[in-house]
Amino acid sequence: MDLTMLYYILVAVVLAACTGLARSRRAVVGFASVFFVMQAVFAVWSVTAGAGVQSAQFFTFDATGTLFMVLMAIVSPFAFVHSFDYLRDNNIPEFRLYNMLMVLLCTAVAAVYFSNNIAVTWIFLEATTICAAGIIYHRRSPETLEATWKYIFVCSTGIAMAYLGVLTLSSAAIEGSLSYESLCEAVKQCNPLYVKIAFLLILAGYSCKMEIFPLYTIGVDANFAAPAPAASLISTVLVNAGFVAVLRIYRLMASSAVFEWVQNVLILAGIVSLVIGALFLRRTNNYKRFLSYSTVENMGIAAIGLGVGGVAAWAAVLHVAAHTLIKSSMFLQIGVVRSIYDGYRINRLGDYMQLNRVGAAGLILGALALLAFPPSPLFVSELMILREMMAEGQWWLIAVIFLLLCIVIYSIFSRVIKLCYHPNQSSTRPAPHATGLSWSAIVLLGGALVIGLTLPEWLKVWIDQIVNF
Amino acid sequence: MILSLVILYVVTLVYLSITERFRHYATLMTYQGWLLLLIALLRLHSIHWFDLLFVVTETLIFKAIVVPMMLRRIIKHNKINREHPAGRSQFGSLMLSIVALVASACITYLVADDTINQAFFCVSLYALLSGLILIVTRRRLFAHLVGFLVIENGVFLFSMAMGVEMPILINMAILLDIVMSILLLGMFLTKIGDRIKVDDTESLTSVKD
Repeated sequence: MDLTMLYYILVAVVLAACTGLARSRRAVVGFASVFFVMQAVFAVWSVTAGAGVQSAQFFTFDATGTLFMVLMAIVSPFAFVHSFDYLRDNNIPEFRLYNMLMVLLCTAVAAVYFSNNIAVTWIFLEATTICAAGIIYHRRSPETLEATWKYIFVCSTGIAMAYLGVLTLSSAAIEGSLSYESLCEAVKQCNPLYVKIAFLLILAGYSCKMEIFPLYTIGVDANFAAPAPAASLISTVLVNAGFVAVLRIYRLMASSAVFEWVQNVLILAGIVSLVIGALFLRRTNNYKRFLSYSTVENMGIAAIGLGVGGVAAWAAVLHVAAHTLIKSSMFLQIGVVRSIYDGYRINRLGDYMQLNRVGAAGLILGALALLAFPPSPLFVSELMILREMMAEGQWWLIAVIFLLLCIVIYSIFSRVIKLCYHPNQSSTRPAPHATGLSWSAIVLLGGALVIGLTLPEWLKVWIDQIVNF
Repeated sequence: MILSLVILYVVTLVYLSITERFRHYATLMTYQGWLLLLIALLRLHSIHWFDLLFVVTETLIFKAIVVPMMLRRIIKHNKINREHPAGRSQFGSLMLSIVALVASACITYLVADDTINQAFFCVSLYALLSGLILIVTRRRLFAHLVGFLVIENGVFLFSMAMGVEMPILINMAILLDIVMSILLLGMFLTKIGDRIKVDDTESLTSVKD
């Protein structure tokens, strides 16, 4: 039996321990760098030699896990590099704890991506809560303590609810196996009401990770309190872990008699998320919360895509993949903004174009990409979702989405333009690395735009494999 | 015998919904811990002795002793006594709880699936709803914490319904217990009370839009 996944987890835990025990910043950086190199090698291996292999009984290197693993291997080193600058004033214990938790978070998320067993997915999602909580509490202020408390409390409640759902589904398990494959067979014969209850509990529980209605608030608070480079991971790779967990349940339900009902629930959750995202984008006065509500809005669109099904489900996967690159770039840019202004207050910051031309250009381009202007890949995904809705004659849904997207476009653009061109009312400080960091964040955005322009064949094949079940 | 214990468990949940004194919360959690221990002993006697020993030890030490002890310490440490006077009335809470119980019974009746133990399913669902009601309707953070523990106990009870066939499910419920409850209770005891002087939810509103 292949044990690569087990070795990956073991080596990652050892490297995390070494990072946590290191005595100098250089040693911390060294151990963390080794981890990110190993992660990249592991991602390449899972694409090539490992494709389709079952590992350590509970993991399979399938297309779903591999796509999101590759995305994490691309995004996480950028977050890691930006963290050095962000944490330059931190003492060694804080610095090493932060990096250790980042390594553990990436490891737990990778395990969620590749898990082929509903129980193992749940265990590693629970593990991400602990790692993310430590990162959220990094600054040790009353606000971060409050955010951490809320995060742990709501995630724990959500995870407990999801477990009740897992238990409900498990009762149908054939020969005691909790793999998605055998559950897929089992739910076909299950009582429909029973399957519906299980799905509701699991979706409500995992919504705290996927940042959609009903437990979306906790992700917003987490991103607000965590350092910006860490928020770039929490808002993308951790959200993707929630998406993958929901996607696997969605595929499980596809063979059941209640699939249509499941799709309607996803559409409802998506629409409510989109409404919340659109309204709070107008209301918030903090750039990090602002980007978090944009995540709620985008994951709402992904949920709608899954709910509509067919080509829209394909587009939902593309949407989430593209969102990973664009949103992480935006969060990293906002981290650079903070290094100049030492704050995120929307009504006070301005003149960014004068202070950091590259960063301002990155933010404007990122906002355009986030708003699905061509050549953003989000344009392709949203267009495909809307076309599928038109084909199905869901005009009322299209009207609602259009209205909400208009609010989103106005809110995002007005806020970004305000930051770049309006008079500044906040104090500034020297940030010698700002331009370099802004360029590095633009690289991620560039990757997303290249995908939007070319839509490479390998990506299409990958997503085909993910949605053709 | 198991059914009588499950009914007693329901009684603790109903009482939790009407009581306002935190001391009673801690006492009821102790009773729930002991009831879960007895149910585990009766229900899981056919599983491997090592698994049974593990489950019984965890339930005894953790649910019946450690959690209630930590709850009492929190009450003492934070000098909190009872639910906020401006909270929901006892009658209203009782009505809500009864509605939740009836809803759980109706859902179980509608499901009527022979693959599950219906008594366990119904009570677990009721525990989930009771926990959520406590979290939503009570104003003090301590009551929210107890709400979470109630949900967790409900999950543990349901895991025992299937634990005979799949002991791994109980082990996972135990994992949830140990990791999350210790984290939450520990954080409440060591950080929340000292740093933000929190005894009601209005103190936790600095992180908002």
